[in-house]
Amino acid sequence: MKTLTYIALIAGIVSIQSVLLPHVSLWGAKPDLGFVAVCLIGLLGGELEGLLVGLVLGWAMSLFSAQDVLSAAVMKGAVGFIAGLAGRQVAYMSPALLVLGLLILSCLVGFITPFALRLSAQQDLWWALWTIVLPQAALDAIIGGAVYWLISSHFSLEQWGSEYRM
Amino acid sequence: MSWISFGKYRSCRKRIIFGKMPSLMRMVNFRLSYNARRVALALAVILVLGFLLLPGQLQTVFQAVGSPFGWIISWPLQAVAGIHDRVAGVWGQYVALQGVEEDNRHLRREVDLLKEQNAQLRESAAATDRLVALLEFKKQALPTLIAAQVIGRDTGNWYKTIILNKGTSDGLQSDQGVITPAGVVGRIVKTTSSTSVVLLMTDPNNAIAGLIQRTRDEGIVEGTTHGSARLKYIPLLSGARPGDRVVTSGLVGGFPRGLAIGTITRIDKEDEALFQSAEISPEVDPNRVEEVLVILPSSFPTEGERLGAPKPKS
Repeated sequence: MKTLTYIALIAGIVSIQSVLLPHVSLWGAKPDLGFVAVCLIGLLGGELEGLLVGLVLGWAMSLFSAQDVLSAAVMKGAVGFIAGLAGRQVAYMSPALLVLGLLILSCLVGFITPFALRLSAQQDLWWALWTIVLPQAALDAIIGGAVYWLISSHFSLEQWGSEYRM
Repeated sequence: MSWISFGKYRSCRKRIIFGKMPSLMRMVNFRLSYNARRVALALAVILVLGFLLLPGQLQTVFQAVGSPFGWIISWPLQAVAGIHDRVAGVWGQYVALQGVEEDNRHLRREVDLLKEQNAQLRESAAATDRLVALLEFKKQALPTLIAAQVIGRDTGNWYKTIILNKGTSDGLQSDQGVITPAGVVGRIVKTTSSTSVVLLMTDPNNAIAGLIQRTRDEGIVEGTTHGSARLKYIPLLSGARPGDRVVTSGLVGGFPRGLAIGTITRIDKEDEALFQSAEISPEVDPNRVEEVLVILPSSFPTEGERLGAPKPKS
């Protein structure tokens, strides 16, 4: 059941990301729903679920992008794994702290990505910082915080997380 | 005696299940069984290592495996795109009609101008036909085109791409050129069985062989980070100037010769540089493209075939 839920989630995220999100852009950069989802799954479900869902989601997203499979899958998987490790260390996290964490992690991934993709010489780090990394990190953090707040106000997160944090 | 041992074992299991265990055991109390977790982690590590050691081969395998997976995902994607198109249609037809009258007036003026240009071009075409027949040139075949609809855009921010609703099952492959009646859009870089990803001409990672129509100088058209394009490697002695049209040169696969790319808006000459470059305003606005045409690979002759390459002597 959980696997089916994750497959449906992946299909939904890829569809929304490629069709609807281009209209919700900040200075030309759109949020990465895959990044947000993988972070939350890692945080609440543990590092293994974060890693596996991240690998599959990265692969699925790369099918509808010019980005190569390697960088997409490995980066999303690594993000899920790191979020899972972080989630193991905390008993409770406020939405504000999660926003900050997502902002930092998204910025870190954004800094690594240009090196992994071997982009054109025009797309240097300074350009990437101002046009993609910072706007995307801001949007990721806001959306992630909002989703986390919605989940935490309707479900008992301590119960979800306690199973693998034991 | 054995019954008592079993009882002890059972009570120990019970304690572990309910979390009443020594503190060391708590460190390894996972949601999945230890074996399943170990196998999953090992598979993930092997996958990541494989990606790092054999990136090319594994990417090909994953791209092939991803084709049916992409077909499955393309269903919700097309459903969302359909809903989006309907909402956009309602918005465009009923809500966003402000300024239509001004647009209409502007377009009428443009149509009049184009009619006049069309008449001139017909004359030129007729003259060209006569000359071609006279010189007995081999007639260039018109390329076969496949119409496709744009259903989405890149899932990331690093590349400027569009997603088409046709893929390998419709005969589309990587490196095929994509155009609209107005001009060049980009080229296909990735396909699944039912979708294709087109890298736009305005992406800095794209390069198309171009030709200045008036001066016949060739160069490479690259996208820029500002969403326009740039023609590079123009000879220093070229007389190119703003307003000159740039078309495809047909030297590299994907596009036949003569498709509109854009118009030169500025020439940049740097001191001691070997070449000059030109900024181009693209003929097609990639952000507004909804339907495109894909050029099939062997449907048009290469420059070598067109000019008739010499046959080896037997």
